[in-house]
Amino acid sequence: MTEEPKQILQGTGKVLKEFSKKKENLVPILQQVQNQLGYIPREAMLEIADYLGIPDMDVYSVVTFYNQFRRNPPGKHSIRVCLGTACHMKGGYIVLDAWKRRLGIEQGGTTPDREFDLDTVACVGCCAMAPVTVVDTEVEGKTSPTRVDGILLSYKLEKEKGSKGKGKGKSKGKAKSKSNG
Amino acid sequence: MEAITITLNGREVSGHTGMTVLELARESGVDIPTLCHDPCLAPIGACRICLVEDERSGRLSASCVTPIEAGMVINTESPKVQERRTTIIKLMLSSHPDSCLVCDKGNTCELRKIASDIGIGVIDMQRIPQPATIEEVNPFIERDLSKCILCAKCIRADQEMVVEGAIDYINRGFASKPATLNDMPLENSECTFCGTCVAICPTGALMEKQPVYRGTTPTNVSTICPFCGCGCSINLGVRDNRIVRARPGKESTVNHGTLCVRGSYGYDFVHSPERLTSPLMRVNGDFEAVSWEQALDHMSSELNRIKKAHGSNSLAVLGSSRCTNEENYLLQRLARCVLGTNNIDNSSRLYSAASIAGLGAAVGFAGSTNCLDALEQSEVILVIGANLPASAPIVGYAVKRAARYKGAKLLLVDPQQTRLASFAHLWLRPRIGTDVALINGMARFIINEGLLDDEFVTRKTDNFEALTKDLKKYTPKYVEKVTGVPGEDVCRAARLFAEATLASIVYGNGITQHVTGTDSVMALANLAMLTGNIGITGGIFAMQRYCNGQGACDMGTTPDLLPGYQSVDNDAERKRFADRWGTDLPVNPGLTALEVMEQAKDGNVKGICIVGENPVLSFPSPSLVKQALESLDFLVVSDMFLTETAKLANVVLPAASFAEKEGTFTNFEGRVQQLHKVIEPLGDSLPDWEIINRMASSMGNPMPYSSLQEVMDEIQEMVSLYQITDYRDSQTKDIHRAELDRDPLKKRRLYKGQFPSGFGRFSPVHYEPPAEMPKDGYPLTLLVGSILYHSGTGSRSSRSPRLRAFSPEAYVEIGESDAGQVGISDGESVKVISPIGEVNAVAKITDTMPEGMLFMPLSFPSTPVNQLFGITLDPRTKTPALKACAVKLERAEPHG
Repeated sequence: MTEEPKQILQGTGKVLKEFSKKKENLVPILQQVQNQLGYIPREAMLEIADYLGIPDMDVYSVVTFYNQFRRNPPGKHSIRVCLGTACHMKGGYIVLDAWKRRLGIEQGGTTPDREFDLDTVACVGCCAMAPVTVVDTEVEGKTSPTRVDGILLSYKLEKEKGSKGKGKGKSKGKAKSKSNG
Repeated sequence: MEAITITLNGREVSGHTGMTVLELARESGVDIPTLCHDPCLAPIGACRICLVEDERSGRLSASCVTPIEAGMVINTESPKVQERRTTIIKLMLSSHPDSCLVCDKGNTCELRKIASDIGIGVIDMQRIPQPATIEEVNPFIERDLSKCILCAKCIRADQEMVVEGAIDYINRGFASKPATLNDMPLENSECTFCGTCVAICPTGALMEKQPVYRGTTPTNVSTICPFCGCGCSINLGVRDNRIVRARPGKESTVNHGTLCVRGSYGYDFVHSPERLTSPLMRVNGDFEAVSWEQALDHMSSELNRIKKAHGSNSLAVLGSSRCTNEENYLLQRLARCVLGTNNIDNSSRLYSAASIAGLGAAVGFAGSTNCLDALEQSEVILVIGANLPASAPIVGYAVKRAARYKGAKLLLVDPQQTRLASFAHLWLRPRIGTDVALINGMARFIINEGLLDDEFVTRKTDNFEALTKDLKKYTPKYVEKVTGVPGEDVCRAARLFAEATLASIVYGNGITQHVTGTDSVMALANLAMLTGNIGITGGIFAMQRYCNGQGACDMGTTPDLLPGYQSVDNDAERKRFADRWGTDLPVNPGLTALEVMEQAKDGNVKGICIVGENPVLSFPSPSLVKQALESLDFLVVSDMFLTETAKLANVVLPAASFAEKEGTFTNFEGRVQQLHKVIEPLGDSLPDWEIINRMASSMGNPMPYSSLQEVMDEIQEMVSLYQITDYRDSQTKDIHRAELDRDPLKKRRLYKGQFPSGFGRFSPVHYEPPAEMPKDGYPLTLLVGSILYHSGTGSRSSRSPRLRAFSPEAYVEIGESDAGQVGISDGESVKVISPIGEVNAVAKITDTMPEGMLFMPLSFPSTPVNQLFGITLDPRTKTPALKACAVKLERAEPHG
C-alpha cells in the first residue's frame, strides 16, 4: 500500500503532461486519470487543482457532480444491486442492505482489501428474475440475504484455493457462482 | 454612455447600456425581491425570485441577469410573475424546516420576509426533509444546511470576494449542497472563518456559533475594526449594552462586504471578564481599586515631583498605534506642553518607522501612495515581506481577486510559502535579510535594459545618476550569490514589473522589521520611481500592523516630529504650534521608545506614562524592559487589561475599548475613518482621550478642550494632511464615501505624479549582510510574524474567547528536514534558543518552510517570543530588529 501514493502521483503526472493548464481541460483530465487509475483519488484531485491553478474544492465539486467518476478504488469484483421497478418491488433494498452489512461498506464504497465494490444499478433487463444482483458480469437472480452469504462464500473459497495454488499457474478465476446455491 | 428607456410598471424610466432590469428597477424605487443577488457578487440568476414579465412577448426572465433593451415593457408584479414567485417560494419552504421560532436569523431572514410579503402561510406541498446540522468544533460558524436554499451566495462570496476556494457545491440534484473538500468540517478545510458567508447568507443556514442573543438586535452601529491597519468598517449589533454580533460594513470602500476572522469574531475581548473597571493604585506592593480622583492625584503629585527634582527630560510618554488620532494628538500635547519633554514615541516605532524614514526621504511623505482600489486594478503586483492573508487579510483578498479574476500578475517575494504562493505568477524565495540586494538587482536590470520610464525619471525625480552608478555591482550573478534567487528569475521579475503600465508594490513587516528596513524601503521607492509607478498609476502600499499605526505617526507621537511630520527643530513650525498651544515647546528631539528603556535602566528616565501599549511583550528583550520599568520611580499605565506592563505600574487607569468611544483611525491607505460609540464604557473605564485630558487637569495644566469635537477641529486646523477630513458631521455614516467624492485623499496621493517637494529623490542604498544570519552554534533562522487568528502581541486577541479557543497556544513551524535532523515529531514540545534567550513551543512540522528556517507567531503572551531578540537598532530609525534571529532547536525533554 505504501507504493500507492507514488503510483497515483505518477499516473496523474503522466496524464497532466498531455494537457495545457486550461480550466476547461478539467473533465478530460479527470476522465484520463480514471482510465489510468480506475478511480480518482484525493491526491490526484489535489494535483490536478494545483496544475490548473483552481481551488481543490472546484475539482471535488465536478467529481461529485458526474456519476461517471469514482472516488473509491474499484474492487476486484464489482457488485451491482438492481433497484429498478421490479427489483424494488421484490425487496431490492433488503438485498442492498444485506450486501452493505456483509461487506461492511456503504453504497459506492470498496472493501478495505479491495476485493469488492458495491453500487446500485437502475435496471438490467432481467426483471423476471427480480431481485437481481450483478456480480462482475454474472447476473444473480432471486437474490436474498442468505443468497448474498452464499455468493460471498463462493468467492472466499475461490480465493483460498487461488492462494494455495499460487505458482501452479491459474490463480485468478471467476467463481462459479451458482455452484453454492 | 447611451441612455436606454424602458417602460417599468407603466412608467417610463431610463438607464444606461449594460444595466440590468433589476438595477434599473432598484434605482427607480421599484422593489423586486431577490435571494441570490448581491451587489458584491456577479449575478447568476439562480433563485428565480426576481422574475419579471416582458409584456410585449409575455416572456419571463430573471431581472438580475437581463440587460435592459430599448422598448422593453416590464411588469414586475403581473399575475404570471406572482404565480411563479409564489410557487418557487412554496417549493423552497416545503424543504425548509419549521424552526423559524428558534432560528437566530429572526426578522432578518430574507426567505421569511419574501414569504410574508407574498402572504404564504400554509405550505400545501409534501415536505421533503433536508440534511441536518453539521457537527463542527470550530467556535465561529455553525452550518445548518436544512435551512439552505442553494442560492450559492456563500460559495460565490468564498470564491469571488475572499478567494479562498474552501466551499463549493457537491453532488447533484436533490443531494447537492455547499460543502468543503471531502465534505469535511470547516476547520479541516481551507476556510479562514472570515464570516463573509455568514453575513451574506439570506437564511439561517450559516450563523454564528453560540450566539449570546437570538434574534434581531435593536441597535446596529457601524464603526471601524480595531485590529490591523486595513481599517475595515464593521457593523456591530448591540443589545443591553453588549455587542452581540459583528457584520462587515457593506458600503465601505475598504472592505466591500468582507471581513476576516478577527473582525467578525475577535470583538468579544470587549466583554472579557479581565477588563479593568476601576483605577488601580499600588499600595504596599498590591493593587487596590481606588477612585479616579485618588489615582490622578497620586499620579500628578508623583510626576510633578519627578519633573521638579530631575527635570522634564526625566519623564517619557509612550503612545499607542491602537489609540485614535485625537488621543495621540492629545498625548503628544500632554508630553510637550504639560510634561515639557519630547520623549514621546509610539509602538509603530517597532515595525513601521522604516516606512516613515524611507518613504519620507524618497517620496516626501510617509505612507501608502495610492488607495486599495488602485491596487486591485494593477497589472503587476509585487508583494514583498508581507504575509497578507495573515497580517492584512483585506489587502490579501484584493491581491487575490486581482490575480485570479482581473488578470494581474503577482510577483511574490517571500522565503516562506504563504497562501499567496499559489496565486503567484513568479515566486522568488530570497534568503532572509537580502531584500536590498534583490531589489537593487531588479533596478539595475531595468536601467540597463532601458525599461525605465524616461519621462517620469527626468521630469519628476533627481539624483538618478548617483543611483545608476551605485547599482553597477548588482549584476544578476552577484544577486544570485547573495540572495539565492536564480539570476534569470530576478531579470524576469524586473522585466515583468517594468513593462506593466500599472504596477504596485505591497510591503509589510517582513521589510520594515529588519535592521536594514529603511534601506529596503528606499530601494523599493527607487524601483517604483524608476518605472513611474508611484501615485496615480500603481503605487507603494505600506502595511500597518495596528489600526492606527499611520495616524499615531501623523499626529506627531514621535520624539522628533510634531503633528504632520514637522521636525521639532524647525523653528517656524515649532512656533506655530507653540502659539496655538500658548506655551513654549521643547527644542531638542527626544528619546525613541527603545532609548527610553535604556535610559530608564541607567536611571536617567524616572517616570513613564504608557497609554494603550504593552512594551514588556512588544519590545525586544522583555527581561531588560521589565528591569527598566521596575527601576522607575513612577509608572502610570492606561489600558483595558492588566497587561504584563500594567502589572509593573504604580497606577493603572482603566481605558475604554474601541467600541466605547468616538474618534478617528487612519488606515494604511491614509484614509481617515470615524469610530462610533457602540456601547457605554464598562464600569468606571473612560476613553483614553478623556483620561489624558483629566491627567493634564490634575497636573495643574488643563488643556482647553471641552469635547472631542474641539480636538478634531484643532487637528484639522493644525495638520495639513487632515484638513480635507470633514468629520464635523458625525451623522454622516458613510464618511469615507463622502470623503472620496470630495477628492480627499489628494494630499496623500501623488496625483499626476506630483511629489510634495516637487521631485522624488533616488537614494542609493547598499546591501549589508544581515546581523541575524545563522552563526556558530545557532544554525537556524527564526522568522517571527503575525498570524490570522491573533493580532499584535495578543493582549486583546488572547482575551477573545473564540479566537483563543481556536488558536490557544504558541507553536513553532519547522520544515520536515530540519525536524528530522533534530529528531522532533509533530506536536512535541521544543525549546527555541537564541544567544539572548529561549522559549518553549509546540512543534508544527510543515512542508511550507524552507530548510534552515523556523517560524513563530508573536501573539501569545504566555510565550513571549521577543525574549529571543537582543536590542539591535536600525541606525536611522532606531527600530529594533524583530523579524528574524539566529536560533537553535532542542527537544524540551531529552529522549527516554
